Amino acid sequence: MLDFFTIFSKGGIVLWCFQGTGVTESFTGPVNALIRSVILQERSGNNSYTHDALSLKYKLDNEFELVFVVGFQKILTLTYVDKFIDDVQLHFRDRYKNELEQKGARTLLSSCFAFEDDFKMLLCEAEESSKARGPTSMRSFNASLKSQKTVKSMIETKGGDKGKEQGGKKNKNAKKEAPAAEPVKGEQAKAPASAQKTVENGNQGLTQEEIIQKKREEFIRKRMWAPAEKPSKSPKPVKEKTKGKEKRVWTLGGNSTKELDYSQCNGNGDHATGVHVLDAQADPGMQLSSMKGDLLAVDYESSEEEEEDVVEKVVVADTSKQIPKRGAYGGMFGMLKGLVGSKSLSQEDMEPVLDKMRDHLIAKNVAAEIASQLCDSVAKKLEGKVMGTFTTVASTVKGALQDSLVQILQPKRRVDILRDVLEARSQRRPFVITFCGVNGVGKSTNLAKISFWLIENGFTVLIAACDTFRAGAVEQLRTHQRRLNSLHPPQDDRGRPVVQLYEKGYGKDAAGIAMEAIAYARNQDFDVVLVDTAGRMQDNTPLMTALAKLIAVNMPDLVLFVGEALVGNEAVDQLVKFNQALADHSISDKPRLIDGIVLTKFDTIDDKVGAAISMTYITGQPIVFVGTGQTYNDLRSLNARAVVGALMKA
Amino acid sequence: MATEPGINMEAKIDARENPFEPYLDALKKVLEDQDPIFMIGIVVSLAVVVITVVFLKYLLSRKTVQSAVLLVGLCDSGKTLLFSRLLSGKFKKTQTSITDSSAPYKAKNERGSSWILIDLPGHDSLRPQYVEKFKSAARAMVFVVDSAIFQKEVRDVAEFLYFLLTDSVVSRNVPSLIVACNKQDITMAKSAKLIRQQLEKEMNTLRVTRSAALSAQDGSAGASVHLGKKGKDFEFSQLPMKVEFLECSARGSKGEDGEADIASLEKSLALL
Repeated sequence: MLDFFTIFSKGGIVLWCFQGTGVTESFTGPVNALIRSVILQERSGNNSYTHDALSLKYKLDNEFELVFVVGFQKILTLTYVDKFIDDVQLHFRDRYKNELEQKGARTLLSSCFAFEDDFKMLLCEAEESSKARGPTSMRSFNASLKSQKTVKSMIETKGGDKGKEQGGKKNKNAKKEAPAAEPVKGEQAKAPASAQKTVENGNQGLTQEEIIQKKREEFIRKRMWAPAEKPSKSPKPVKEKTKGKEKRVWTLGGNSTKELDYSQCNGNGDHATGVHVLDAQADPGMQLSSMKGDLLAVDYESSEEEEEDVVEKVVVADTSKQIPKRGAYGGMFGMLKGLVGSKSLSQEDMEPVLDKMRDHLIAKNVAAEIASQLCDSVAKKLEGKVMGTFTTVASTVKGALQDSLVQILQPKRRVDILRDVLEARSQRRPFVITFCGVNGVGKSTNLAKISFWLIENGFTVLIAACDTFRAGAVEQLRTHQRRLNSLHPPQDDRGRPVVQLYEKGYGKDAAGIAMEAIAYARNQDFDVVLVDTAGRMQDNTPLMTALAKLIAVNMPDLVLFVGEALVGNEAVDQLVKFNQALADHSISDKPRLIDGIVLTKFDTIDDKVGAAISMTYITGQPIVFVGTGQTYNDLRSLNARAVVGALMKA
Repeated sequence: MATEPGINMEAKIDARENPFEPYLDALKKVLEDQDPIFMIGIVVSLAVVVITVVFLKYLLSRKTVQSAVLLVGLCDSGKTLLFSRLLSGKFKKTQTSITDSSAPYKAKNERGSSWILIDLPGHDSLRPQYVEKFKSAARAMVFVVDSAIFQKEVRDVAEFLYFLLTDSVVSRNVPSLIVACNKQDITMAKSAKLIRQQLEKEMNTLRVTRSAALSAQDGSAGASVHLGKKGKDFEFSQLPMKVEFLECSARGSKGEDGEADIASLEKSLALL
């Protein structure tokens, strides 16, 4: 059923692989795609990934620097895969501990990992265990509880309904206040049994059926007792109904304060009703379980969960080799023990440090969900890693987080605008850059800065005024054009200005203007076309459609999203919706998405530089320009290390 | 009285050593007053300190000696397979590397010199930090190029090569550079000569665009090392380091089980 299973080292050498019968394509492509998009982009929070028709699940072993990947068809829903990967990982580690522990790649290259037999055995076990929990056979009618109910109890009259409900409610209140020592014991005896069952299953997905069954039984139990109480409760509500309208009596609004004195009748009255209800039960044995079911309608699940957790914790503690008495050693000794010697990192160790780092990142203006996804990814990367001597958990986690942040900010492709413009010039076509973004982020200003930089390097620029909506947009661009021309008088042999503006006034279609501008640039041999669009909110569907149409029709070489560094959690929403709109409304099957980010107003934030991280993480695209001011010279490129340093600074 | 001149002589000798005598005597007295074990303790600790200082100096000087050869290149150029072939001669399936791998390598020359061969990941987001980590320890760099798709990737290859050559540490240490044009078993592979010419042309253009690139936002400018000679077209012979272009095929022309075609690479590595 599996298409393939590979085990490879983080250095790239495949140690062992398995290809399912009848599978001809090599798995190298999908696994490389997994590595590039998930592991390297720090999205390893959830451990599954889909590529074309394949669904890939993976697991990182950080102690020996291995990666385990399994691939199967997306349409199959195999429930045993998670547990299977864990089993394979443990087996492989135990079997090849000696080879894996040695540093250096020599042993990995020379040793042969003959894992087929173990793998086949584990696969058979996993498949059998999943088959054993096949669909449960339906019970026959006689065996079900429905046949044991009387017909009368099924009839729902108006009064009866209320009575049933009231009876149920009264029952609940009674049970809650009555100290039920025996039922608790009885429940305790039952809960471990059920909890054991769930622990034995081991696989979360398969206990759903158990939980559903338990809840079903509980519900049926509740329904069983409600009809029995109904006869005792129904006369009362019916009587109240037939009395007609009567003067309302406020229980607490009386003249005397005697009614407010609850010292005598606090538990007694309810006790009486509770006892009364208990006597009404037919079977004392059933009474215990009924009290259990109703008493803890909410608490039952929680206490059962607690039992479950306790049992699970014990089980987990036995299988893992952790010594829980670490805390008992006392502060000093424990600290020393933590410093010296090799200790493998576990989730609990990293939890407090990661929480602190997450809060720190959020304080530095990283979007909240990005910060938590990053921390999850770092936790996955470090889980099980063996720390060296004299390194604390905090320093390891901080170092890993720093590396991940630098990795995110590094561009995943070459970023060299000048070189690309030269390439386009050699192909005798203009290089088209489109600027998009929400209102007021600095598109027009940064467009002017970029055109200044380009003409400084000897290129001719055509600015296309596709912002036909905002008042004064065209005039603003015209002013920029005049200023830039005066700064750089026309010196090339054709004697024409280095910057020109292509505008068609207000109210026209932006996509049409852009197309005409590009054609004009091609005719007149301009090197670069900078297309300025109107700012638009990401929720504004018609405007997003118009932008997508502009980009799809004109196919610019570079689509730059202009975002300000002051934005916080909004950045996530903006970028996701912009990308979504561009993908939805494109004509081809390979839509043009955002290719790069311009981060503006960088001088207004001191070290709260988190917006850079949020934006690069969401899109996976590099930050091409950084705007650091409002004059023509304030244009920079991004220095990943400096930004991460400012981010991690306390 | 014969002893008198002797006594006089002694008195004279004593008088000569007199200036030092009182100090020496005082020192001797102080030393003798102390516990002998304490003295031994002081002497031993001084000796330990001296030995440690000498050791540290030796170790530190050892570190700066470059003893590693780096396998660098773009993603999917065949570095990890080349690494495996050089070390064990076997063919191994590979995936994109996420971390570096290193192993000692025994060169095939008469001296039998051995140094460390390090395979760095080529993915764009990991490249800079790994180069940063290992560049100071490099005595040579093997730049692996995918000859089959070189035409499409020429700008990326040139940018990485430019980044390596203009790095301040690299231009100071001047490690020798071997450009291995890999994947020669594919029919469309370009020859080493062609790759060399194209790279020279590309680096020429890059010199202009890179120096005109924007400085970083905290003011730090890019690399200010100028490659080659000013005013003349860039050629690899103008570089201060030894540059060599050769062809190789990590996969080998006979498929996975055959030998790899890396004889020329091994020869060059033996000359290091």
